[in-house]
Amino acid sequence: MPEEIREDDAGAMGESYYLNMGPQHPSMHGVLRLKLRLLGEEIQDAEPVIGYAHRAHEKMAENRIWPMFLPNTSRVDYLSGMIYNLAYCQAIEKMLDIEVPERAQYIRVIVSELNRISSHLLWIATYVMDIGGVTPFLYLWDDREIILDIMDRVTGSRLTYCYGRFGGVTMDVDDLFCEQTSAFLDRLVGRMVEYDKLVRKNVIFIQRSKGVGVIDADTCRQYGVTGPSLRAAGVAYDVRRAEPYGIYDRFDFEVPTLTEGDCLARYDVRVREIEEASKIIRQALRDLPGGLVMPEKPKKKFKPSPGETYFAVESARGHFGMYLVSDGSETPFKIKLRTPSFSNLAAMPKVLRGTMVADTIAIVGSIDIVLPEIDR
Amino acid sequence: MSAVAPGLDGLLLTSAADDHNKTGFHHRHTCAAAELPAVARAFDAAGYYLEMLTAEDRRAELEKMRLVYTWNVLSNTPDRHLVQCDLEVGATAPSVVAVTAAADWMEREVYDMYGVRFDGHPDLKRILLPDDSDFHALLKDFGRIDGGGDAPVADDDGHAEET
Repeated sequence: MPEEIREDDAGAMGESYYLNMGPQHPSMHGVLRLKLRLLGEEIQDAEPVIGYAHRAHEKMAENRIWPMFLPNTSRVDYLSGMIYNLAYCQAIEKMLDIEVPERAQYIRVIVSELNRISSHLLWIATYVMDIGGVTPFLYLWDDREIILDIMDRVTGSRLTYCYGRFGGVTMDVDDLFCEQTSAFLDRLVGRMVEYDKLVRKNVIFIQRSKGVGVIDADTCRQYGVTGPSLRAAGVAYDVRRAEPYGIYDRFDFEVPTLTEGDCLARYDVRVREIEEASKIIRQALRDLPGGLVMPEKPKKKFKPSPGETYFAVESARGHFGMYLVSDGSETPFKIKLRTPSFSNLAAMPKVLRGTMVADTIAIVGSIDIVLPEIDR
Repeated sequence: MSAVAPGLDGLLLTSAADDHNKTGFHHRHTCAAAELPAVARAFDAAGYYLEMLTAEDRRAELEKMRLVYTWNVLSNTPDRHLVQCDLEVGATAPSVVAVTAAADWMEREVYDMYGVRFDGHPDLKRILLPDDSDFHALLKDFGRIDGGGDAPVADDDGHAEET
């Protein structure tokens, strides 16, 4: 046991004591360690300890040519890897002024939103399991599996997609892809009604999440919290709307917001985002034009002109920004990944203070953190 | 794009509008390290949030370490300000944690990766690397793979090129 824990080795009545939660706790998504200082069952201080899954992506970026960083991107967040992968493609396209064909633009939107749905489904599944409901997990996994199969067929991988290329996507989609995607969305409508009954109307679920772990809008701004957690606090900020990238400005969708800012609101926002993502996919499938998806072979080596570029996308967890610095050579001078979970988790010490230890998992789980994305 | 940079008069060394469509920034500024807290207070008072903080190892060309802040608003009219601050090698920078809590972890990450220390940070310690590391990983003289730019790349037939 680390030294810093032992020094306050309290145990005496009325004194605070430390409790380590993680990094091997079964509900502790990935490898997060929470150092809790407790008085009885009340949390007086919570310190997240991170870095267990640090893989040095930013260092790797500086040691390889620009295109070779592409496979790294989806490993940053393996649950919505497509969005991160395409973010890098679009950032490079912005730097080099590369045109992307219409068909590829639409396909990018479809696969990104499918990825968002699968990420949110996984969050609902694991979150409900975290707070004690095992059954919904199996149903939601079933749905998510369909998305993974669809994505596997078109991209060649189930999680860590490397589907984007500078100027398009690797493989075209076929009619079967469109049919399978539509069929999945049709099926999902009924399934979401079932989940509403199974999860949202469950009194235990409501009691575990309602009024628990409130994050207000000002706290979000103070810590840079984005994504569903921010929208659950009443701020209608979505990068797809604020800084539309790709062709997101062509679709009709809402940015769901609630004002409660508690765990239940974060659940509701994500459920509504699944519906909005479905709406976007249906529109994209309807309007999907013909043509090529990758008209020119992408260049293997290139030298972007020196300077800084920032490119942001809305990942399933919030504002994902890439800060790219070129010194005019074939290798990046620097790539900084501004990952949303990092900022979202940073707010946890403030949110957890004064709550009960039994709510820890309910609160930490509700912001949908992915540790490899925090640690990079 | 909002035309006015909020309350930054007299705090900046240089300031210019930037082309958001090309670079992703609406404005770019440089400032002296001593002004960082005042700049942060001006942004914070205007309702901005600290979106990103990182550093660049510019020792090779400028003999400086560069801190990079981006400030933005959480609304549908984004206004991203890039603030660059060059530091002498080995110099410390004033912390802005007292202004915005987001800087807490971000400054720890910059310290962890670049070794830049922040005066006034409540608990400046490593965040991603092991506590007993004796290096700062993103410095250019650490862990450099020689000829990284010439790493094998598949040729047009898909074979790895000889290097």
